[in-house]
Amino acid sequence: MENTIAGYFLSFAPVQHLADSLGVGFTSFLIFFAFCTLFLVILATVGGFGTIAERKISADLQARIGPNRVGPYGLFQLIADGIKMISKEDIMPRSADKFLYYLAPFLSLFGVVCTIAVMPFSKNLILTDLNVGVFYAIAISSLVGVGIFLGGYASNSKWSLLGGMRGASQIISYEIPVTLTIMMIVLIAGGLSFNTLVAEQAGMPWNWYIFHNPFTFIGFFVFFISTLAETNRAPFDLPEAESELVSGYHTEYTGIRFGLFALAEYIEIFVVSAVSVSLFLGGYHIPFGLLEGTFSNEILQFGSLFLKTCALYYVVIWVRWTFPRLRVDQLMSICWKYLTPIAIFNLVGTAIWIVAFDGRSMFDLFFGSGVH
Amino acid sequence: MFANILFSVSSLLVISSCILMMWTKNLMHSCVYLLGVLIGVAGLYLTLGADFVAATQIMVYVGGVVILMLFAVMLTGGKDYQSQTQKILNLFPSMGNKYTFMWGVGVAFVFGCTLIYFFRNLFSVIKVIESDDSYTPTIERLGELLVTDHLVAFEISSVLLLGALVGAAIIARPRKERPAFIDDIVDDHHHDEEHH
Repeated sequence: MENTIAGYFLSFAPVQHLADSLGVGFTSFLIFFAFCTLFLVILATVGGFGTIAERKISADLQARIGPNRVGPYGLFQLIADGIKMISKEDIMPRSADKFLYYLAPFLSLFGVVCTIAVMPFSKNLILTDLNVGVFYAIAISSLVGVGIFLGGYASNSKWSLLGGMRGASQIISYEIPVTLTIMMIVLIAGGLSFNTLVAEQAGMPWNWYIFHNPFTFIGFFVFFISTLAETNRAPFDLPEAESELVSGYHTEYTGIRFGLFALAEYIEIFVVSAVSVSLFLGGYHIPFGLLEGTFSNEILQFGSLFLKTCALYYVVIWVRWTFPRLRVDQLMSICWKYLTPIAIFNLVGTAIWIVAFDGRSMFDLFFGSGVH
Repeated sequence: MFANILFSVSSLLVISSCILMMWTKNLMHSCVYLLGVLIGVAGLYLTLGADFVAATQIMVYVGGVVILMLFAVMLTGGKDYQSQTQKILNLFPSMGNKYTFMWGVGVAFVFGCTLIYFFRNLFSVIKVIESDDSYTPTIERLGELLVTDHLVAFEISSVLLLGALVGAAIIARPRKERPAFIDDIVDDHHHDEEHH
């Protein structure tokens, strides 16, 4: 209970009064319920705005204007899109596997949403700081792959099947460089919980793990490329390659079921960006320890994480509209012949660095004790 | 309290998915129900305070094994299998003939008696679990033990994984000579170009 959001809020006086009258167990349940709902709503909104950002930024990169009719700068386009999705007819192919067809989008979304449980939005705004936090996040997000594969299989269409198979093989393959790179950071931080991983990166940007040693610097790019592939983003969007597979695993899906797949994808990009920010780019930390120990500090930390994550989100979209799509064989050879060996090399290199320099960072070595 | 809720939900998930998995005749659906069983078992591990084992359960089985099984079933044709049993036994999915069923009933009887013997004190055990609400993280102890007391087992399992990796690489290695059908395709292509 100490490392959860309920434990944090129970330390405030008004909540304690509530706990006295309602009982600690029920109050913690209420706090968990409220914040689960809140984070879910925030992430769904972020996912919705992700579609707008995608369209606006792609328009910018292609010298177009993009959606600009609904609301100021077309910002309310997501509401129009949402209403359109819900009100569209829900069509199912006659020869589809009914049970799996209905299940697949939910599995996909479930895998993404479950990772919110360990998302470190700030030091205390984390639903639960599990001891196996980052491991849990990798494990539960593999449900997305099952969802994509089942979606492709159940539609009973050749395009969907090819897309689903590509999706599953791609996600399984790229899990290896991702996990190896996370292992590197775990080695430096000495723990799997997100607060442990972020703790040492407090203060100035040179304390971030990306600048800890040369191997982590390479590791960040390995991680970023692999997560692009894991979230099926271009240039790795082979499971939904428009020019060859119509729309891949969700070709046959209509209405809100397609919407759930799309939402899962956009939320996953945000979650994955937040994980890379937490692992490499200082997480929720703000410099100079502003307003230490107050609730405003938590809000500032949340803002810090959110800004960095949105910056990374922009890069993801930017990459999508800049690079052409890879072929399947190129995709696999990048994973197995380049990223995985580099990740193993990084892991070994980091281990040697920690032994050789007693776990000190580059900045620490060059400029004495470093600034904390 | 929380442990009890988690236990009830997980065991309900395990039992219901298990029954459905056995009952359905579609192999693909069986695999998906198996997913429910495995997630439920992960929940049961959590009630016992084994957080790392629970996460590993999801990681290995959901992320790897179930996807592999789905692939295997799909590639071998996961269609509805007609029941291959004899008249009265048609109710059950294909498990064999009447002799295998007779053997099965016999073994189940012996096994059931043994289980009842073991679990005759079940209700007193449950009371002990209810009173135990403490939770200690296991991952630090696991990490320590893996590189001290159980180092040999750890290293040997890594050799096993290396063997699997090398084996996969050898199987997937491209052959030197080109298969005949590629030559055909290339020839056809040349012919087409000549016609144009």
